[in-house]
Amino acid sequence: MKKRWIRGAALGVVAAVTVALTGCSGGGDQTSTDGASLGEGGYSGPKVEITFWNGWTGGNAPKLVPQMVDKFNSEHDNITVKNVVQEWSDIASKLPLAIQSGNGPDVAVLHGDDLGTYAAQNLLTKADNLISTLGYSAKDFPPGVFDKGNYDGAQYAVPWSVTPLGLYINTDVAAKAGITDVPTDKQGYEAALEALKTSGVQGEWVDSFVFTGTFEFESLLWQFGGELYNEDVTKATFNSEAGVQALTWMADHISKGWSPADVSQDGDINALIAGNTAYNWNGVWQTTNTAFDGVQWKAAAVPQIGTQKAVWSSSTHWVFPANKGQNTDKTTAAATFVKWMNDNAAEWASTGELPAANTVRDDPSLVANYPNLKPFIGELDYAHYETVAPGINEANALITTALSNALTGKMSPKEALDDAAKQADQILEQNQAKYGG
Amino acid sequence: MSVKSTGMVRPLPATVALYVALGILTLIILAPLAWMLLTSFKTDAGAIQQPYGLPDPWSIDAYTSLTGGQTPVFRWLLNSFAAASLQTVLILVTASMGAYALARLDFAGKRIIFGLVIVMLLVPPVIFLIPNYLIVEELGWLDTIAALTVPGAAGSFGIFFLRQFFINLPREIEEAARIDGAGEIRVFLQIVLPLVRPALATLAVISFLNNWNDFLWPVYVLLSPEHMTLQPGLSMLQGAYRTHFSIVMAGAAVASIPVLIIFAIAQRQIVESVTGAAVKG
Amino acid sequence: MTVRAYLFLAPFLAIFATFVIAPAVFGLGISVTNWSPFRARTAFVGLKNYIALFTPGSLQATQFWTAMRATGLFVVISVPLLLVIPLAVAALLNSRVRAATFFRTIFFAPYVLGVAVIGLVWGYILDTQQGILNHILRLFGLDRDIPWTVNTPWVWVSLVGVTVWWTMGLNTVIFLAGMKGISAELYEAAAIDGAGTWRSFRQVTVPGLRSVTLFVTTTTILASSNMFGQSYLLTQGGPGDETRTAIMYIADQGLSQNNMPGATAMSYVLFLILAIISVVNFRLQRDRGEESKS
Repeated sequence: MKKRWIRGAALGVVAAVTVALTGCSGGGDQTSTDGASLGEGGYSGPKVEITFWNGWTGGNAPKLVPQMVDKFNSEHDNITVKNVVQEWSDIASKLPLAIQSGNGPDVAVLHGDDLGTYAAQNLLTKADNLISTLGYSAKDFPPGVFDKGNYDGAQYAVPWSVTPLGLYINTDVAAKAGITDVPTDKQGYEAALEALKTSGVQGEWVDSFVFTGTFEFESLLWQFGGELYNEDVTKATFNSEAGVQALTWMADHISKGWSPADVSQDGDINALIAGNTAYNWNGVWQTTNTAFDGVQWKAAAVPQIGTQKAVWSSSTHWVFPANKGQNTDKTTAAATFVKWMNDNAAEWASTGELPAANTVRDDPSLVANYPNLKPFIGELDYAHYETVAPGINEANALITTALSNALTGKMSPKEALDDAAKQADQILEQNQAKYGG
Repeated sequence: MSVKSTGMVRPLPATVALYVALGILTLIILAPLAWMLLTSFKTDAGAIQQPYGLPDPWSIDAYTSLTGGQTPVFRWLLNSFAAASLQTVLILVTASMGAYALARLDFAGKRIIFGLVIVMLLVPPVIFLIPNYLIVEELGWLDTIAALTVPGAAGSFGIFFLRQFFINLPREIEEAARIDGAGEIRVFLQIVLPLVRPALATLAVISFLNNWNDFLWPVYVLLSPEHMTLQPGLSMLQGAYRTHFSIVMAGAAVASIPVLIIFAIAQRQIVESVTGAAVKG
Repeated sequence: MTVRAYLFLAPFLAIFATFVIAPAVFGLGISVTNWSPFRARTAFVGLKNYIALFTPGSLQATQFWTAMRATGLFVVISVPLLLVIPLAVAALLNSRVRAATFFRTIFFAPYVLGVAVIGLVWGYILDTQQGILNHILRLFGLDRDIPWTVNTPWVWVSLVGVTVWWTMGLNTVIFLAGMKGISAELYEAAAIDGAGTWRSFRQVTVPGLRSVTLFVTTTTILASSNMFGQSYLLTQGGPGDETRTAIMYIADQGLSQNNMPGATAMSYVLFLILAIISVVNFRLQRDRGEESKS
């Protein structure tokens, strides 16, 4: 008798909670408020507090951002911005659920490769009207960046920064091998690597991790005329002839004695800083690396190894989360904040990212203040940005797996890429079902 | 080999072997920790430019940047301390009561409940995260200490752990007390619990640590920066693009010292022998 | 008696039902749907998520069983070490040792660090070309760099080694607490019988630890099968997919790739395997509680 009562009670609890849970799961169908409207002089409604999430930890950002936010707050009587910083990976974990439950921020910064996934799940506000009222269009940013915020015919994001790859050079190490010029093409670069080898230095260490082996591979793929995916992102094409050429060139570094085998994560840039190698393909963010202290180094555009100029770049974008019950006043105020931040982005260069807004980046004072950024800015004419498609990161991860398999000698470059592409194709197909409709 | 014996019981060669073994183990355990501590006194550049030697120069930059205005490390420490303590108390209370019933009382449904406890131990906890987030949200606990402590106290580990200790106690001790007219609560509190003090202290340390070192769950359920706990907080000390080794190592040192102190205090309870006095038989 | 027993159990059962049983049942439920917290409507898909795991050549089957192989390998290598070493260390510390408090604190110390720190510290130490460990080995005459975190078989040596270093203090302390519960009289009796150190360990310590050993074996097998932080941070699952463990794959699918139904299906397959192992384990180590049942 008692037994039955207890079993019944236990089942009751489970059932109640399960119902509560499935009840919650219906919260995902937020209607994306198409374009909260915005007046000419910015948000003019009642006083609001808006929350801003970003992953700007480390370096100069933790000092700079609070200053910028304070300045914005003091200039706007009716808007108070609350700045919330967390590591990027933590934001990636919590943001979707927070938006779904109505606890997300009013404005946030996301990386380009996340935009499609968020947009497909109705987690972002369609902001066409908002963005056109702010006066932004594709020509205000480097080629190709603004359109990364476009998904399924709607604009969801405003560009904030771009971060291309470049060639870092330890000039002391290079000079010891008699190299004073910056190599710009395949012939020059390989000659430099050979000269370094003669002087006992492995000139460019290749690693098999996202930072930065994958970025180097993608740059090379584009240089050889390849693409990561086909036009509508239904098939992986990184195992094309161009991809095989790119990965073979990287793997040959090891067999030709230009790189040691089995380089650890960040081993490449750390070796450059410690004076053990001369070259490293790395992101513009390294220009502010404090570990360079005392090292003779410079940065240049990546050399052209393939048939055309190309380089990998990431981008970050402002988005307006579509929280459950999102207040349109807050979204409008957030748009005002975005515009103000982009207009005042010059100092952002001190964090090792390039401001996306052309007006700010092309201002001569920027390069005057941050001369290391010059070669990176020059690369933006031919930079390629990350693919925007829902769930794309799962397919992208396979590129790194292929790199790892090829560079640790487990497979030939072609086998590794074919294997990865086969799996990526299945993921892309599943993503259609997972995020479509 | 010496003819002089130092101990009454243990011959000298055994003593030497014992201390050599302990010494080697100590070295293996301490060397990485020492390296971590040394690195925390290097400069950001030094940790990479001179990866092998001693810090040159010695620098406390890493520690000053911990306490700098942007990162309220002491706030995080306090938050973590409150959450970990509360969760520890919750586990000790609920698990000891439950384990007492499972180990010392006979009742209908006992096998089913113990079976459930064990079965749930086998479900990979990673799949609880999103459902529990939704439950906590439904309860209105997001961004509160309840979210940080209660779900984490609900696992099977503590009750299974204590049951295994309770079950070892001889039956006679509580039967004698019951014959003397002691109520169930008195038997539990005054007779049984004191006998498993080492186990309780051990569980307290483990529970505290589990909460203290948890970094994924707090990330999901905490929203305000002022409620942040230590582990997700410390991850903010890393740069967005690169690891500042000296700062991370300094953060690790600051995070582990309070727990080591707690362990040092608790272990007196763990090792204090309780058996000689109370167990008869 | 039953009512009293349930009063003792009530606080535990309340939170256990809410935060363990409910999510577990919920997980089982969504494993036959296409549920997502971000989808308005949920559709029943039957056993599709399970069938995919047993369809040779399918993406899920390939990736999941590769990950299960990694987990299996890790469990098989790490669990014996995580039982034997702590038991030996606990026995050493339980014998009369000067400065026992000092040694106990030292041996427990690594366990107070979080997994994120473990990953960074060891990644720094184990770096192929610039880590201190290879530097020391070079001083001893090693002429090549060992790829501790990059290539096979060294990735496994590192993952197991780091895990043993990190968590052996936990099992040591639990064994020690168990040893403190063994009556001193039993040791005295064994000594009178002329038992030496090894025999009294075999005849008094090991039997006295039976229920504690059952606990430690069970939780260690589970902890090792749930391992993912170490390989996520130290080897990033590489080379290739070699060290991507089941939980690392499940966590990625469930938390990052919006595939909770698939992740729960995989979890329950893993659960079934763990259940079989646990039944065997419990049978082998029948504890007093089971025996005394009439």
